[in-house]
Amino acid sequence: MPLITPTLAAIVFGAGAVAGGLGALLGIGGGVFLVPFLNLALNFPFTAAAAISLTTVIATSSAVSAGRTGKHLINLRLGMVLEVATVAGSLLGGVTAQFLAQSTLQKLFGIVAAVVAVVMVSRIGRRNVILDPSADPGVLGGRFYDEESGGVVTYRVKKLPVALFASFLAGDVSSLLGIGGGVIKVPALNAWCGVPLRAAAATSAFMIGVTATGGAVIYYGHGQLIPSLAAAAVLGVQVGSWSGLRIGDRAPVRWLKLLMAAVLVVVSALMFIHSRG
Amino acid sequence: MDTSDDSRLDRAVGRVLNVGVTASSACLGIGLGLSMFAGTAGAAHLLLNAGLVVLMATPVGRVIISVREYALERDWAFVLLTTIVLLELAGSLLAAVR
Repeated sequence: MPLITPTLAAIVFGAGAVAGGLGALLGIGGGVFLVPFLNLALNFPFTAAAAISLTTVIATSSAVSAGRTGKHLINLRLGMVLEVATVAGSLLGGVTAQFLAQSTLQKLFGIVAAVVAVVMVSRIGRRNVILDPSADPGVLGGRFYDEESGGVVTYRVKKLPVALFASFLAGDVSSLLGIGGGVIKVPALNAWCGVPLRAAAATSAFMIGVTATGGAVIYYGHGQLIPSLAAAAVLGVQVGSWSGLRIGDRAPVRWLKLLMAAVLVVVSALMFIHSRG
Repeated sequence: MDTSDDSRLDRAVGRVLNVGVTASSACLGIGLGLSMFAGTAGAAHLLLNAGLVVLMATPVGRVIISVREYALERDWAFVLLTTIVLLELAGSLLAAVR
């Protein structure tokens, strides 16, 4: 583990800012970039990298969701139901991470990074489907005003067991690898459960705070969370995601997604190479 | 049951998240500054850890608020679900200290 100096804190702050900015632009969390940087480039143990990243996930979730409440984009009820599964997953993942070898966690990260790359490229031009606004959303469904299309979107939640399973998996992976897990939940909710993309993303972003807390608490209790660097990363990610949201529409998101998918493929390969010692 | 009944809960959750993020960022920012440049190790250590605890307590706080709001609405199914989430978080805490 490297010595903690103001220079190192500045580097971690910068890495957080870049990860947060990319996360905001790409609509994914920054954890998938931050964890490999801390683990592979700065040589922190995988668990320390995951722990720091989880604190940034919590901060991003709280900050983003605080600004979104009142717009009905976050489906509170669906979120509360699925959190039962995500937090169970993150509890399990946090406990399991204590027993797994670093090489196992790196291999797992390699797989997930490759999956994120594929998901990012395959959903590059995805838009919302507008459903009949007079439809009954049911207990778990929702209704929100969609700025992109200028209409009211109403949806019902289908196949709840699928959503619960994806959420459990997302929570488990979140704790083990230090990412939010939205990359698993959002496509599942959107593709199989009838939740429009923006509502799925907003609800997922809302859930990952409490999910990441389930894992972060365990790392913190085991002394694997380095407070000063977590602080640097959290502040960096907040600055980064704030800037990312400001740049927003002006950024060439399509090209950025392709570029970052390529970066993730490289990250995935590096994780496998390192895992073999 | 209409989901728009949740607007009170929505506002309460937004408040908790806002206060939590602001308080934890302030603690973490000042703590980081002190630990890097002022050499006041004790205060820095305290502020950094306080910031992290507030950060992690924020989502827990909004779950607690949700239990309360659903109880006031007498929506027992959601009181049960949010209570289960709280119990799972308590399980994490237990796994953290042992």
